[in-house]
Amino acid sequence: MSSALAKAPSAQATDAKPKTTVAAVPTFDNALSKGVSFGRVAVLLGLLAAQFNDLVAEPVLTLQSALPVVAVVQVAYAMLCLPAAGSQQAKAAKKSRPGEKKKAEPAGTSSVTAFLALVLATISTPVIHALFILFGAPFLDHVTHTFLCAAHFSLLGIFPVIYARGVDSQSLIAVAGLSAPLDETLGGLLGAVLGAWLGAVPIPLDWDRDWQRWPVTVVCGMYAGSCLGSWLSGVVFYGKRLGGPAASAAKDE
Amino acid sequence: MPPKSSKAGDGLDYKAIAKQFAKAKAAREAREARDAEAKEKGLPTEKEQTEILERQRELLNNKRQKAYERRWWWTAAFWTWLLAVHGIGIWLFASGFLLTRLVLDDKSSCAAPPVEGLAVGQAALDVNKGCWHPKQFDRAVVILIDALRYDFTVPEDPATAHAFHNSFPFLYDTAVKAPQNAFLRPFIADPPTTTLQRLKGLTTGTLPTFIDAGSNFAGTAIDEDNLLMQLRDSGKKIAHLGDDTWWSLFPGYFEPNISKAYDSFNVWDLHTVDNGVIDNIFPLLESSKENQWDLLIGHCLGVDHAGHRYGPDHSAMTAKLQQMNEFITKVAGSIDDDTLLIVMGDHGMDAKGDHGGESDDEVEAALWMYSKRPFFGRTSPEFAVPPANAKIRPVNQIDLVPTLALLLGIPIPYNNLGKPIEEAFAGQKGNDWANLAAVSRLASAGIERYRQSYFGARGISQTKEPGSPAALWVAANAAGLGHKDAYNALTEFENETLQVYKGLWARFDVPRMVAGVFVTAAGLVMLVMYSSRPADEEFVVANDAELDYAERRLELMNLKHEDQEEHPDQHLHRNLLGGLADARVLFVVGVLIAVGLYRKQPLDGLAALVVTLLITGVISALSTSGRTILNILPRTFWGWLSVVLTLSHSIGFASNSYTIWEDSILLFFIATFGVAALISSFRIESKVDRTMAIYHTVIFIIIGRLASYSKLCREEQMPYCTSTYYSSVTSSTSAPWQLVIPFAVFLVLPDVIKAFLMPSKSYEGLAPTWIGYAFRGGLFLSALYWTIDAANNGGWLADRLSESTLKSAGVYLAQVILALSLIAGSTSFAWAPPNISILSTSAKTGQLVTILGYGNAMGARYLFLPLNFLAACILVTKPMGSGALALMMWQILCLAEIIDLNQLKGESIGPVMLAILGNFYFFKTGHQAVLSSIQWDSAFIPLFSIRYPWSPLVVALNTFAGQILAAVSVPLIVLWKVGPKQRGVLETTARALGVFVAYFAVEALTTMSWAGWLRRHLMLYRVFCPRFMLAALLLLAMDLVGILVALTGVRSNTLAVCEVFGWAE
Repeated sequence: MSSALAKAPSAQATDAKPKTTVAAVPTFDNALSKGVSFGRVAVLLGLLAAQFNDLVAEPVLTLQSALPVVAVVQVAYAMLCLPAAGSQQAKAAKKSRPGEKKKAEPAGTSSVTAFLALVLATISTPVIHALFILFGAPFLDHVTHTFLCAAHFSLLGIFPVIYARGVDSQSLIAVAGLSAPLDETLGGLLGAVLGAWLGAVPIPLDWDRDWQRWPVTVVCGMYAGSCLGSWLSGVVFYGKRLGGPAASAAKDE
Repeated sequence: MPPKSSKAGDGLDYKAIAKQFAKAKAAREAREARDAEAKEKGLPTEKEQTEILERQRELLNNKRQKAYERRWWWTAAFWTWLLAVHGIGIWLFASGFLLTRLVLDDKSSCAAPPVEGLAVGQAALDVNKGCWHPKQFDRAVVILIDALRYDFTVPEDPATAHAFHNSFPFLYDTAVKAPQNAFLRPFIADPPTTTLQRLKGLTTGTLPTFIDAGSNFAGTAIDEDNLLMQLRDSGKKIAHLGDDTWWSLFPGYFEPNISKAYDSFNVWDLHTVDNGVIDNIFPLLESSKENQWDLLIGHCLGVDHAGHRYGPDHSAMTAKLQQMNEFITKVAGSIDDDTLLIVMGDHGMDAKGDHGGESDDEVEAALWMYSKRPFFGRTSPEFAVPPANAKIRPVNQIDLVPTLALLLGIPIPYNNLGKPIEEAFAGQKGNDWANLAAVSRLASAGIERYRQSYFGARGISQTKEPGSPAALWVAANAAGLGHKDAYNALTEFENETLQVYKGLWARFDVPRMVAGVFVTAAGLVMLVMYSSRPADEEFVVANDAELDYAERRLELMNLKHEDQEEHPDQHLHRNLLGGLADARVLFVVGVLIAVGLYRKQPLDGLAALVVTLLITGVISALSTSGRTILNILPRTFWGWLSVVLTLSHSIGFASNSYTIWEDSILLFFIATFGVAALISSFRIESKVDRTMAIYHTVIFIIIGRLASYSKLCREEQMPYCTSTYYSSVTSSTSAPWQLVIPFAVFLVLPDVIKAFLMPSKSYEGLAPTWIGYAFRGGLFLSALYWTIDAANNGGWLADRLSESTLKSAGVYLAQVILALSLIAGSTSFAWAPPNISILSTSAKTGQLVTILGYGNAMGARYLFLPLNFLAACILVTKPMGSGALALMMWQILCLAEIIDLNQLKGESIGPVMLAILGNFYFFKTGHQAVLSSIQWDSAFIPLFSIRYPWSPLVVALNTFAGQILAAVSVPLIVLWKVGPKQRGVLETTARALGVFVAYFAVEALTTMSWAGWLRRHLMLYRVFCPRFMLAALLLLAMDLVGILVALTGVRSNTLAVCEVFGWAE
């Protein structure tokens, strides 16, 4: 294996070939899109708040019945706010020419993309489920709990990314490496991961509260994190990179 | 011809070779021409020049080797200083926190009562009539109902009653109906309220401390004077039924045929022990059997277990108490007139049914004494009815000791601090003050005698001011006191003395604890500064053989002109230690020590002050050397991740929940790092490297989760945890199927390791023999050992081979494995050549030399050392644990790859993850942060009996296998895929080791701070104190392993590699 070649960062930095950078996913620049983007956060958090008691009492039933609702909200959000993968807007966005008037995309393309993204998100659910188990979630018990939790995670974090990025390996590797610039989709994913991570923190405490039951805290953390993350990266940190190509060399040392 | 690193040649190389050939040809021609020219001029030819260069190279190598050795010794010296700082900090804290009591070996004897000139009628000095006081009962039956809380036994208004109320009325009813036959009083336990500590108190009459100084290794047996010892020495027979804790405390005391012990730790079984006691006790109470025992102990556990399992407010508790009620009623009916019946609890239980702490509910037990003939009295009519709650008229549990001793006519144990219980000596009318004064005088004189010996042995001076025990003792012995007054004065003396001892043994020395925390914190600051990376320092691994070669030639050329060259860090450690030798510091320290010794000040304050001054000296030296206090702030994501993981783990120790669930939390951290590494791996440019990094990361995470299936639950984790480490919850032997694991390890692990060495072509040199045969053979022998052990435990070969044959076979086998892995292994490690192989291939250009394994010359060879320790650890770990340790090695190798591929060698995350892995596998090898999980039986794997220092070492190897393996692997993370010409290896390794130890130092600091802060917490003895002890021991152990194994290993590794390749620096 030619590990010797990959070793010297100085050499690497000099002969780094100009990479095609992965651009951020912009939201549509219109009032409807802004409203939907904001409304989605409100609806999701409102749903969580309204259903909290049921979630604590009957996690499986509640998560199950909420799943289609969340799916509809996410699909609507994606179609109304995000450029579908491979669409005109997406391509325009890649060229990053802001202010250019865009042609309206036929609704058919985005709905097909939404459907495909939904399918892919569903396929990714077992992977997320496995990830939960690797972090210490029960393997043989509470399978439905974990699976539903993973399904919500896929809808919240994975679906918008796939909708906007498609199956382009370069973009997906950039997303997986967090080297893509921040946008609502990546922020939502990152927020969901961090939220779910923090959500696990109160579980071991011996407070004997019902809401400490698996997976209530993780679901709450995931929703809060995803909403906060997508809002922050959509509005405040849009286009910023987490140690992007320039910073990544320093980061990876 | 320059050595060429092992790169797969492809089509492109062909042109290069041709070019090279042309170049070489031209060069040769030129050289020949130059040689001819030189000959003409009488100058040295090229050949001679090469010889000169060769000599110079040798000189340079020698010089550099010497410089390296000096550098190493200074590094080791600095680490010894770190060890000393850690040791002093821990000693300061522990001496203030872990209260110790000196165990006196003195025994009371029948012929030597503590009071001179006893009345002839009182002291017969004969066991048959009563040693110091006339004997009242021939025999005693003691029924100990574990966790019998006082309110279980007294009536409660049915309107407010709980499940545990009003189910056990017999004790109260008899005390009310027949006060001369029975009395019931609250019985206050001294914390910690665990059965073992309570039994000590109930038989010796002393207050328990966490560690009784003088108790021996693994020895739970009580060696100080106690009731049972006095009975046995007086020729009395003791029978015991129930909880087997008694048997470990009093081995060989009990009549073998009639006594029966039952396992005490199966909390889920409410009935086995109780039924065993009930079924076996009544035959012994028959009059024909009464000469078989003088003291009959029945220890029931059902109430305690019902509490642990369900909590007190549960119908199971009601049923259990009703059963006890019926049982005691029947026992009371079965005894004769000369038998004393005592029913008592050793402690209470809290609202959840647990105990161990010092809350009211936990210390308030019940005591009931019963005699078939009228015997007991009350000194006041209002005492006739038992107290309504435990706050009224309680007796101390230690008071049982003199009471029972005097009633049975044996001497009061020497160390007793209890006083006789009034009811038993007041006479039936309750006015026998003469008798009360006499027994009280006896007990007090014993206490006074003990006080003299204890204070003498400890060298504590006694105060004589008014109100002190000494003054009260004089007052109580004043002439002319009436019996009643004398009795009251003596009682006052006894109470006061007890208070003094409680102060002595149960009070924390807060200034010492603070000093300990302070010194440890200062030491940690120093360690973290030492481990921080100076901003300009880089550990870049180039591993390019041609580059190395060119550099070397250049170096030799330059050498002619410049003879002086010095390693940039040649004096780093010496300068750091130079901070100690600052004249001003030394002067102040000298003055302090002189003054301290002259004024005979206590050692602790002086030590704290001196160490703080010295630490300050080193800290200022560190600042000067560029590792300033600001330098410890993390600069990268990985630095922050290290800090977050370390701190959140340590801050969690402030909560008992996070301490209890530490194993799950560590898994969570491992997965967290895995995901971060996965994300980082996606950023690697090279597709091959990216794929490999992702692959190793995924394997790393999965192994962690897989290993988490090996667990031994601690009591507090119930019922959310299932132990898998042993064959069942109640056993400490492995299930037969678990024997598959060591054999699987033997088959798979060497190949896994080989697979990690193959890509860098490092499975060369000794590696195939070492890993493929020696290591694999060791693993096979270990598996064989555990098979023999299982055969022995299970009696599989009972009809063919005797137990002792199997045991001997196992022990000798184990000794062979340890000798092979540690002694032969270390020796070969010191002498082994690097894992390289030199291939000479003929090419057009002539000879092409390829060095296989060049790029991993340092790491691949160092790997032998962790493997040696792994083989030893696997032997002393039970079958389930051997699988866990094998997974750990795999995970460590994955970590090494991840760190290498993501270029994180200079970061702190590698050592931090190793520390986390080490702690994680501590739990996965059947341990918990509780004393009871120590696998004492591992001492007998390579030995037949306890032998110092080997037995403690084996137990330490078993207990800390995970952390030791992690510590030995710290250099592996730095050295993995590092070539022989790498610079700064020693410094980078020492820094990585610093980070690794810093993790444990943070844990030690936080656990000690929390334990000190929460010293009144209910869970102190169960959760915080054991975790502190674990962290403190680990810190010292990691320091030691770091110096003796890791640093020493790096030294011999570097010496061996550089002997072949020459010294790069």
